[in-house]
Amino acid sequence: MFQKIQKKLIGLPAYLKDWILTFKGGITIFCLVLLFIVPLLTQNAFYLEIMVLAMIYSIFAASWDFLAGFTGQVSFGHAIFLGISGYGVSAMLVEYSFSPFVPWWGALIVGVLISVLIGFIVGIICLRLKGPYLALGTMTIGVMMMNLFKIAEFKSFLWGDEGISAVPAISSDSTVVYITVLFLMIISMITMIQITKSNTGTIFKSIRDDETGAEASGINTTKYKVIAFMISSLFAGLAGGLLAMYNRSVNPLIFQPLFSFLVLVMAAMGGIATISGSALGAFIYILLSEVLRSLEEIGTTNPVLIALSDPSFVFSILLILIIRFASEGILKAALERLKNFWDVILGR
Amino acid sequence: MGIILEVKNLTKKFGGLTAVNDFSFEIRRGDFVGLIGPNGAGKTTIFNLISGFEKPSSGSIRFDSTDITGLNPYKIVNLGVARTFQLVRSFKFLSLLDNITVSCLSKRGKQFSKKIGAEEYASSILASVGLIDKATIPPVVLPHGDLRKLQIGKAIGGNPELLLLDEPFSGLSFEEQVGITNLIKKLNDDGVTIFMTGHVLRELMTLVPRVIAMHQGKLIADGPPEMVANNKIVMEAYLGKGEGFA
Repeated sequence: MFQKIQKKLIGLPAYLKDWILTFKGGITIFCLVLLFIVPLLTQNAFYLEIMVLAMIYSIFAASWDFLAGFTGQVSFGHAIFLGISGYGVSAMLVEYSFSPFVPWWGALIVGVLISVLIGFIVGIICLRLKGPYLALGTMTIGVMMMNLFKIAEFKSFLWGDEGISAVPAISSDSTVVYITVLFLMIISMITMIQITKSNTGTIFKSIRDDETGAEASGINTTKYKVIAFMISSLFAGLAGGLLAMYNRSVNPLIFQPLFSFLVLVMAAMGGIATISGSALGAFIYILLSEVLRSLEEIGTTNPVLIALSDPSFVFSILLILIIRFASEGILKAALERLKNFWDVILGR
Repeated sequence: MGIILEVKNLTKKFGGLTAVNDFSFEIRRGDFVGLIGPNGAGKTTIFNLISGFEKPSSGSIRFDSTDITGLNPYKIVNLGVARTFQLVRSFKFLSLLDNITVSCLSKRGKQFSKKIGAEEYASSILASVGLIDKATIPPVVLPHGDLRKLQIGKAIGGNPELLLLDEPFSGLSFEEQVGITNLIKKLNDDGVTIFMTGHVLRELMTLVPRVIAMHQGKLIADGPPEMVANNKIVMEAYLGKGEGFA
């Protein structure tokens, strides 16, 4: 196996050069360059923090797309991993006598490990459930988690309604936080995309397309479904830990179905089974929400503008438009248009 | 050449309906056996029981002296038994090559494909079923005949010793049937034991040296085609009483 990795690393420079020259590679590099330039353009913590939130949700949405778009397991309870890792990270950084000595990345690793363990358990529990039953099952576990952490009697070890607060951020410098999260997002995306392109990814896709057929091809679908759950929960947990350090707190509401549905909407808007589409969907959601919020603050009596300042309203319309005109998600539709434009420019 | 498949007193009940009734037979390694019976006789249920997609109500199935009764389908595949389905199924969003690569990535498939790599191995299988020029195309655009070839390709990806073919000729034109027939014959020549069901009786009876006939879940005849064709019970099962079998 190490020889394979060695071979891949040696071929990397040539591979990267070829990739950048392709359309998709070029666009990706362009977006990454834009993201890297942002902290150079502004020191304003407010704008930087919005981008950080978008990047955290990108990781979260991508983890959901990995499970649903590539393995066919549609989860309506992904907030479970967001929350369990959030609590893990927060507890490590605030609650115990060794907390002051725990670095943020140490707490993050613990949070991710807890999330993977829960991913394993949820995967095993939901094994026999398919389609709508899997969705309901995961959503139920999510609601159960929320209520479990709310129980006043468990306050001594589960922190109750108020959760944990005064969670330190990764750094007091917003630019440092931005670069760190950007780095983590890039690594997460690359990892997830490479897995989907590997032989294991092919097996995941076969389970998505025809689980019975995959069994008939000799694949232990149970094993691979649980593995997919664990990989997905790893990255969802990463997002959850980062979110706790972003919000500086965590409470039972992190488990609520809203966040599970939100990630679904982001992934669907961007494009299911694309991984990078989830990032696009997350950025669209977060940035558009901010624009709408500032619209609300203007204080207008114009009924159209009042309607437009309500995120639920706007995103419902947006979702309907996407389903009607770009059913494969915005990413694919946009790339197609851009590609035609690109060809025209190059005179093809 | 020992016994590769031994089925003893196999019974499957779905509630009040007995789909397979006290079925017993043996197949020797390298055999080429047909399974016939009118619609609803239970042929696909027999295949589902052998391949693990259904668990028997009673009875036993032994593959190469290993008891495979009630095992999970993927475990049975990894022991060397592969099957195709009556209604063609494929991994719709994967390329033809990837469709076959999946079988080469099973535990058994990896043993055989390790040396040259799963994709290379899958390519050679795709070529052997005559679909290599469509390697990058997804199955949605393929004609029915090619889909049947793909099914066989997927089944042999794990280098099975016993191949169960469920209605491999169903829905095929005459030329397409000839192609599939040659493919199956070659597999049998290479040593793969073939057990296939068929509806197109005339072709099947000329193809296989041995036929098992079933009716309403029960085994009613087992022997060379001419003998089975002239068996009175078989004739009644297909045609009702008082008719000859052309």
